[in-house]
Amino acid sequence: MIYVLYAIVFVICVYTGRHYWFTLNRLFGFQRHPYIDIDTADWPPVSVLVAAHNEEKVIANILEALMTVKYPADKMLVIPVNDRSTDRTREIIDKFVADFPGRIQPFHRVGGKGGKAAALKDAMELVDTEVILIFDADYIPGAGLIKQLVAPFFDLEVGGVMGRVVPMNAGTNLLTRLLDLERSGGYQVDQQARMNLRLVPQHGGTVAGVRLSALREIGGWNENSLTEDTDLTYRLLLNGWKTVYQNRSECYEEVPEVWPVRIKQIMRWAKGHNQAMMTYGLRLLLGKHRATLRERIDGTLLLGVYAMAPITLVGWALALGVFYQGVAPLHGVIALLSLTAYAALGNLAAFFEIAAAARLDGTRKRISLLPFLILGFGVSIFSVSRAAVSQVSDLVTGAEFHWDKTERFRKVL
Amino acid sequence: MNPILAVGALVFMVSLMFLLPLIPGLVELRRKSDALPLQVVQQNAGEIRHFAIGFREYIKGLELTMQRCVADGTSATGTLPDGEEYVVLGRIDEPLVLALEQRDATHPVVMAAGTDLTLPPDATFSKDIYAGGQFIGGDKNIYRAILGERNVSLGNSSRVLRWVHAVGEFSAGLGCRLFGRVSSDSLIRLQADCSFLRLNAPRIEIGQASSNADATAPSLNNPANAVSGMSRRFLHDDDFEIKAGQVITSNIVIRGQLHIRSGARVCGSVKSVKDMVLEDGVAVEGSLISARKMRIGRHCAIHGPVVAERELAIASGVRCGTLELPTTVSAPRIEVEEGVVVFGTLWAREHGQVVASQ
Repeated sequence: MIYVLYAIVFVICVYTGRHYWFTLNRLFGFQRHPYIDIDTADWPPVSVLVAAHNEEKVIANILEALMTVKYPADKMLVIPVNDRSTDRTREIIDKFVADFPGRIQPFHRVGGKGGKAAALKDAMELVDTEVILIFDADYIPGAGLIKQLVAPFFDLEVGGVMGRVVPMNAGTNLLTRLLDLERSGGYQVDQQARMNLRLVPQHGGTVAGVRLSALREIGGWNENSLTEDTDLTYRLLLNGWKTVYQNRSECYEEVPEVWPVRIKQIMRWAKGHNQAMMTYGLRLLLGKHRATLRERIDGTLLLGVYAMAPITLVGWALALGVFYQGVAPLHGVIALLSLTAYAALGNLAAFFEIAAAARLDGTRKRISLLPFLILGFGVSIFSVSRAAVSQVSDLVTGAEFHWDKTERFRKVL
Repeated sequence: MNPILAVGALVFMVSLMFLLPLIPGLVELRRKSDALPLQVVQQNAGEIRHFAIGFREYIKGLELTMQRCVADGTSATGTLPDGEEYVVLGRIDEPLVLALEQRDATHPVVMAAGTDLTLPPDATFSKDIYAGGQFIGGDKNIYRAILGERNVSLGNSSRVLRWVHAVGEFSAGLGCRLFGRVSSDSLIRLQADCSFLRLNAPRIEIGQASSNADATAPSLNNPANAVSGMSRRFLHDDDFEIKAGQVITSNIVIRGQLHIRSGARVCGSVKSVKDMVLEDGVAVEGSLISARKMRIGRHCAIHGPVVAERELAIASGVRCGTLELPTTVSAPRIEVEEGVVVFGTLWAREHGQVVASQ
């Protein structure tokens, strides 16, 4: 039992070191923004896919924003992917199609497999441009965002692009404020550090882009994936394509305002991530492909982030067991204390990362909410562990994944 | 001590210790003093003329005063709605202009002229300047910002601290230091030893010999779009060399160093993960991107964006982009020889320097 606990503590230490490395790089290292200065170019034609399933509350906002972006209108086609909506989504989209002739080509999907990846896969029949941008319907792109997301595709290594997500309803309640801090840490520090260090920035599936030839090369969208973004990141990497992160390509999104919605969202992410870990983990680490050693290590660690929650819970249980068995780990008081601290609290380096992100964002007072992240951490660790258990039980029983759409909180226009 | 009291005190103390770190957060939750969404630049992202457009709007209130001063040949002073002092010049031989000739004087007023504006040398202008006609600045002047509705010409060794926009041509004399943004709706011309950060114009000429570039750089025959023109790519994991005069008809990604020998032509885009060297007379019809340093030899022609993540050196006679299809040349540090022409944007994030042709 003690050796399993040692192994868990070792893994937690690895993740702790990774978080500190990222944070220190972000604070003091060389920052890579190679494509952000491309503001004049022979811009390529681009298709903008807007994934929408029952999005009557938000779809008009994003279509309005897309009609005012600074990108040559004759080179940009917006394709709202209306996936079996039963509300007014279709009606709103069709009104925009009439108001902006030739600029919006709707894809109204009435049947087929559920999930964003399946909808995007079907919508590809309308896409013939080399650059594809993807937005979820609750996002509001700024005027310069399309050019910023297209610019990295002038680099032929780049298969995928990811922008930064910024919660627009950050101030609503404690949950949204905690999610705002988490997003800040995840993008401002984590993603940008991975970009700086030439590791594996993750494709987020929204405020994002993909190269059509790369997508075709890797076999298109994987409709069996619960998180098509993670799936895409790894298939691109395994096929010699890079995903790059653009920290200055920011876009507003809406984050969940109630805990049950947040829990559902994080459970879906966890399942999808674990699914990708099972599918690509070993192949990425040990397989024959073009990823560099540092990409292999970072990519594997990134695949394991959601597995850390159940592992930490097991660590807690083992620490208790060891305590009641009277075993002294490594026969030393300091080792005992260290082991207990890590096993009890998990990886708190993420909090340091978030504090650094808030500082980089120039938001000083919201750092005072940092202690409340323990609450978010607690909810996440149990939700993610629950997702892992249900995933294992689904594997045993053969049950299919169920796709839960994230509820929106904006008022219908 | 009463055991109940002792337990109560312990519980109280532990609760207090637990709650103490939460107090600032509870206060912030209640006050919401930092609860607004992060500022995302929505409308002006990347627009080099943003400040010039804003200043033109800001100065609109002085339009009538400027017209009157031009008609009367007088000057006027006053205060703008935000409290900034201004001076409007109707002609250039005003006593006020004579006062400017005091060496090292600082002029903390917004200056506007509805007509041509010629400024004496060795002066510092710490507020924005508007010229409705031609703007001609004396040597060794320091400006904060200039908006010129016609040509803008800076004397030798001048400095611009924030931005310049010229509706006509912009030219900077020898040894000028251009911090911030410089844009023109027609042409930017920089002389030797100028430094710069961000330039944008339909045509940017570096030095006197720049007209040679059009004649000597190889032609780009109807180049395809750097992204959508060709999707096939050649991927190589080590150093690579393209031989002199060789014609490559695909995109190229090199995970090592790339050396393109003189006279070669790439009918696609090029990326190298390490250093990239282009010898003389190379033509690239797509983009040119290096994750480290890049050196472009004399008389090369590049159609798509040119990006070097560390340093970029461009030799005389190089032409980037075309008038019809402008492009971006960007790196943290750029050294560009006289005789280079860029159509579009030349952007040195940290430092750009014009150097003499070798």
